[in-house]
Amino acid sequence: MAIEELQDVAETIRGWLREHVTGDRAVTDDEELISTGLLTSLQTVELVLFLDQRFGIDITDDEFVEENFNTVDAIARLVASKRG
Amino acid sequence: MIARPTFTLDDLLLRAAEEHGERTAIVDGKASHTYEDLLAASDSLATALVDAGVARGDRVGIYMQKSWESIVAMLAISQAGAAFVNVNPALKAAQVAYIAGDCDIRLLIADTDKLDALEPGSVPQAFHHGRAPKQPGSTDLAAIIAAPGRGERRPLIETDLGTVLYTSGSTGMPKGVAFSQRNLVVGAEIVSTYLENTADDRILSVLPFSFDYGLNQLTCAIRVGASLVVQRSQLPGDLLRGLRQNEITGLAGVPPVWSLLLRNAKSLEAEPLTALRYITNSGGRIPQVNLDALRRLLPGTRIFLMYGLTEAFRSTFLPPEEIDRGSDCIGKAIPNTEILVIKDGRAAEVGEVGELVHRGPTVALGYWGNQEATDRVYGPNPLAPPELLEVERVVRSGDLVRRDADGYLYFMGRNDEMIKSGGFRISPEEVENLLIASGVVHEAAALGVDDPDGVVGQVVLAVISLRDDAPEDALQVIRDHMVANAPPYMAPRDIVVVDELPKGASGKLDRPAIRRAHAA
Repeated sequence: MAIEELQDVAETIRGWLREHVTGDRAVTDDEELISTGLLTSLQTVELVLFLDQRFGIDITDDEFVEENFNTVDAIARLVASKRG
Repeated sequence: MIARPTFTLDDLLLRAAEEHGERTAIVDGKASHTYEDLLAASDSLATALVDAGVARGDRVGIYMQKSWESIVAMLAISQAGAAFVNVNPALKAAQVAYIAGDCDIRLLIADTDKLDALEPGSVPQAFHHGRAPKQPGSTDLAAIIAAPGRGERRPLIETDLGTVLYTSGSTGMPKGVAFSQRNLVVGAEIVSTYLENTADDRILSVLPFSFDYGLNQLTCAIRVGASLVVQRSQLPGDLLRGLRQNEITGLAGVPPVWSLLLRNAKSLEAEPLTALRYITNSGGRIPQVNLDALRRLLPGTRIFLMYGLTEAFRSTFLPPEEIDRGSDCIGKAIPNTEILVIKDGRAAEVGEVGELVHRGPTVALGYWGNQEATDRVYGPNPLAPPELLEVERVVRSGDLVRRDADGYLYFMGRNDEMIKSGGFRISPEEVENLLIASGVVHEAAALGVDDPDGVVGQVVLAVISLRDDAPEDALQVIRDHMVANAPPYMAPRDIVVVDELPKGASGKLDRPAIRRAHAA
């Protein structure tokens, strides 16, 4: 996947986080989301439903773990690998 | 040798260290700590608290993600003769500052990122967990725990204050429920008795310690010398991995936890969780479809449906073999507790709906610093003989129940407007004050409506009118304000804008009319 595409995915995720989690404050790409409690489990479920729909992917249960969702970077890489 | 009597939380720790010193107490990620480790770490931190000027009876806050260190903190504060105040890590700076002022927190033990988010001066002193915080002057928790302690224990008796836990309050800010040492110890004795916990149990801790039910897994584990495995992430894959890798025998959850766990249905079917001896639910009714799925996918696991309200710690449970009574059944009183069903000041008849009134040793001390609220909920036993001079205090739950001919209790609803979402009790007034504080809302009513997805029980619906000077993007302003200032479970799922909210003769919101118009 091209770098620009990865950045587009990351931008979409940042937008979702701004709207649902952080408000005005922007999240940096390596800021920890799950381990700090910033993103709750139920919010992550909503994010997964959004990503599944938006990018036409199907995130499986064993991919639905902290290391894949702890940073914007990690989430973008997971989405990108699924679109492959 | 006569077993050490346990009157206080510190007694529970001392007994566990004497009887199970070499056994694993806490597992946090890759690290594993024995009861001797827990005793030593508690001693180190208790020594630092005493040296920092924390006095007997002082309140010390803990504002951390759940971790080994947050557990050490609770025990160390108790050893130092102070009361711990577990602040829900989901709360935002304004609520934390309010809590710190409300119960006069002497010192706050906090994760660095949480400490950094507070206004300077919110707390008089701090110990930080993690990198150095922006504000200088706090002490590094890791260094404190690494240094040896002096073994000093401030003597407490069971009627002393043990902890203050905050719940959503009707005055628009959180409300502290004060618990005695006895409440904490008997809460552990009672629950570990009917769950039949032993030192061989490995209990997964997924709920926050700021929640009486979440705290109970820790106290039960210490009471019997079991292992508590700290699980921060509730993501489905992580939950399943935590359960499998640690061969967990007991799991306590609230309804959303089961929705998350059940996403792993395929894997649970292919490879059952054979070690899982029991699960417990509290904090709301499990949707019947999820309860059926749990029974199918966890055939060897006993399912305990529990009911409790923070003001009385725990109240009832439904034994696993009675589960066919349905998910509205909340069972019978926990051991050493009596549940009364009161209708117009008398005991309700069989089948008659009345208010659940709880009597027993887990009845908490009352609301911290709030006599009026305390008098509304706590009072004399309505059925005691008058010669007892109203000495016994019971809790009037505000929950409506009925009792069947076999003595089983069924939840019928609330007699107030409290919203129950994802295991949290939310006061509509607290949500309404947050909405109005956005600066664009004129009037607001918050109500609980059934979650269409069936995950969190109820979701918050806000019905508002806007100020005349509200901007075009007022709804976005409100959403941003809620995201920045409220824990996620308090944010309205939907916001309905009306010209004016219906009001009664006294000018107060006509909540039944609002409910009929918008939530029918």
